[in-house]
Amino acid sequence: MANKKRKVLLVGWDAADWKIIDKLMEAGLMPAFKSVVDRGVRGRLATLDPPLSPMLWTSMATGVRPYKHGILGFVEGDNNGAIRPISSHGRKVKAFWNMFTMEGLKSNVVGWWPSNPVESINGVMVSNRFQQEKKGKETIDLEDWDLEPGNIYPESMTERLSELRVHPSEITGNLVMPFVPRAIELDKKEDKRLTVIAKFLAHSASLHAACTELIDTTEWDITAVYHDAIDHFSHAFMKFNPPRMEGMDEEAYGLFKDVVKGAYVYHDMMLERLLSQIDDDTTIMIVSDHGFHSDHLRPTHVPQVPSGPAIEHAPYGIFVAAGPGIKKGEQVYGASILDVTPTLLTMYDLPIGRDMDGKPLLDIYEEKKEVKYIDSWEDDERFGGEIVVAEQVDERTNEAALQQLIDLGYIDDLAIKDGQDGDKMREAQLKATVKENNFYLAKSYASGGEFDNALELLLELEDRAKPDFRYLIEIVNASVKTKRFALAEEYINYIRKDKLMADNFLDILEAKVQIGLNKPGEALKLLESATKNYPESPNVLIDLGKILNTLRESEKAKGVFLEAIRIDPDNPYAHHGVGVAAMAEEDYETALEYFLNAVDRFYQYPLAHLHLGETLAFMKEYELAKSSFEVVATIAPSLPKTYRWLYDLNEITGDTEKAAHYKSIIAEFDLGERMVITGLPGKELNDVLQQLKESDRSIFGADDLLGNDLDVTDQEWLKKIKEDLIYVPLSFIGSLPSFYSYRILFVEESIEGVTDFFNKRMKLRAGTFNKEMIQAVERQERVGRTWLNQQPNLDIIYIHQSEELNSALVQKFITN
Amino acid sequence: MFKGKPFKVPPGGSLGVLALGNIGIRAWKKAKKEYQESQKDGE
Repeated sequence: MANKKRKVLLVGWDAADWKIIDKLMEAGLMPAFKSVVDRGVRGRLATLDPPLSPMLWTSMATGVRPYKHGILGFVEGDNNGAIRPISSHGRKVKAFWNMFTMEGLKSNVVGWWPSNPVESINGVMVSNRFQQEKKGKETIDLEDWDLEPGNIYPESMTERLSELRVHPSEITGNLVMPFVPRAIELDKKEDKRLTVIAKFLAHSASLHAACTELIDTTEWDITAVYHDAIDHFSHAFMKFNPPRMEGMDEEAYGLFKDVVKGAYVYHDMMLERLLSQIDDDTTIMIVSDHGFHSDHLRPTHVPQVPSGPAIEHAPYGIFVAAGPGIKKGEQVYGASILDVTPTLLTMYDLPIGRDMDGKPLLDIYEEKKEVKYIDSWEDDERFGGEIVVAEQVDERTNEAALQQLIDLGYIDDLAIKDGQDGDKMREAQLKATVKENNFYLAKSYASGGEFDNALELLLELEDRAKPDFRYLIEIVNASVKTKRFALAEEYINYIRKDKLMADNFLDILEAKVQIGLNKPGEALKLLESATKNYPESPNVLIDLGKILNTLRESEKAKGVFLEAIRIDPDNPYAHHGVGVAAMAEEDYETALEYFLNAVDRFYQYPLAHLHLGETLAFMKEYELAKSSFEVVATIAPSLPKTYRWLYDLNEITGDTEKAAHYKSIIAEFDLGERMVITGLPGKELNDVLQQLKESDRSIFGADDLLGNDLDVTDQEWLKKIKEDLIYVPLSFIGSLPSFYSYRILFVEESIEGVTDFFNKRMKLRAGTFNKEMIQAVERQERVGRTWLNQQPNLDIIYIHQSEELNSALVQKFITN
Repeated sequence: MFKGKPFKVPPGGSLGVLALGNIGIRAWKKAKKEYQESQKDGE
């Protein structure tokens, strides 16, 4: 039998969220969507920061982050000194429709944001402005609703498709009734909320009509359609969605509580039609760029800053795929919006660019898929389509599109009021737009781990004359990430002095700096105070829990993380935190449960897999542990500790071939072996260090038993130590980087020995009893020993007094 | 409902008609036109 032609229908629903979809599927209200889920795979797509739709959908279509593709924000400058809705002019890299054109495949692309002006691809392109009415045309005037060039490619399709558009003024009361059953009680002319429903409905109906027409009447390999209506309905009406939010007016709640549900049901009806148009040999993928908070995580107010409404976006979109060769009824983990284009390419056996930030979702296939790679699609000079019209200003549709962004709260009102200088105002708006887009560029850099670039740009943008707390937050964050703690502190002081942020919020920011400076105690104080002011913030609780885990206050940490889970049950970091606390207490059963929860919620979470592997290793589940570490090696290949574990476990299980393989990997990054002496400060340790000092070996830290001169916040602290032997106090032992192998000489000391040492140091009478100090020393010892016991492939030897240094075994150990 | 089966379109439209896409919109616009013309004839 000849191979059937591979066809893909890609459906994009902006802001579609599993929490709502699952409830509606369960209630039988989304049967079409459920039919796709039942015969395919489902998962979550991690969004990017900032979660702004034009940036995200372009990442979805290109496989790269915004700082590479160049689409930033909702608006941009035109060539006439004014601003316009974001266009396709700014995109710097190829989208999947260009790649498919180069490969001779036919694409239909409908409504993708941003895709105006359209490109001359192999297929048909309908721009995201196709459905846009003109400003000032509240009543139907189809004679004056012409479609400007740049909306349809090829132009020959313009007449046929433009006739399928629905104008908002055509939306009658009975079309709005399913969303607002009591619409009749409202004055349609006065109540803007009915008008926006009509507008969103008309826009989605127009795009859907164009899409269905192209499916019916053209030859195609891929049809991709994008709808923004769920996002827009959600921004306008999620606050009315059940359960009723505190303080929500009961009358308004009663009127509008079904709007969001109606929007999803309507999308399911459109999906049903699409499914009727395709056969079983067509693969269908349904995706969203981010989710939308619909429960207790809904914000109570939206910040009055550009793109402020993005605070309502949830961090995960949806992913569903069904069709030939795709698994049925399974979950796909660890997917991101960046993975959509690489995955599409694998469906046509096309190569993935190594310069793409996304990866193909190979777990969706029933059979193993061989993936081809090329360095970049950008180097391929074959024709992939080009923008069909020169830049032009289309005033009335521009204005209507801009007005929609203003209404949604994404951009500030641009109206020039009486008495204002129009030219100056436009100049100021353009300047503000360029600055805002650069801010999104900086955030995109930070989100991609390019903190140096982010910081450089942010420092350029920051204006002391017009301080903007969003920029300042990012500057502090990027300074911490790049370990420029002095700069971070400078900004903290500036913000505090000029009162640019609420103290409570600043405390959270400062805590991050203190964590970076390895001052967990200071960070703890700040976060404890912030938690009192933000008791319902999972992020603050997670930061606090992390500090408590660092301080090995495991019981308290567990309580804090469990509280975060109560507020946000699907938060992977909170589950991971409970696991870490349980692991420190050697409660491996609990640790296992919570690490599994964490990876279930966020598969691409290397630390959770690493800790899961360690827990399984401690439970002697060696094969399962190996699998976990292999996942870490795949998703975060630069974590050296993974390979130490894999080497160790393969040695234990007798898989010498694999052990040798991992040993060779370790050799690639291993900076060598270091000899470390540790223990609790006391007479025995002091004697050992002094004896070693008198030997012919050089030793670091012999006269600094408390480690006062040790700066473990410096990433290269160990690299800078050139001595043969290194003394590291037990309290700092967990800071040993995993780029080295270690032999550890542990000097045992009794608690009495330690208290005597401190008493002498503080010139106290021998035998002075300090309960708190003893407890602290005991905890430090317990923590240090637990950490040492939990490290892979660590050679450790214990001695009790300096005389033992002379034994042949110890001598061999420290000189080997 | 679709797949070649006939469907009735009210002149005021319906969500079901919008969800049919191209065929629904065409049928709706036709029904509206016919309704408007019948109203004119009745005047």
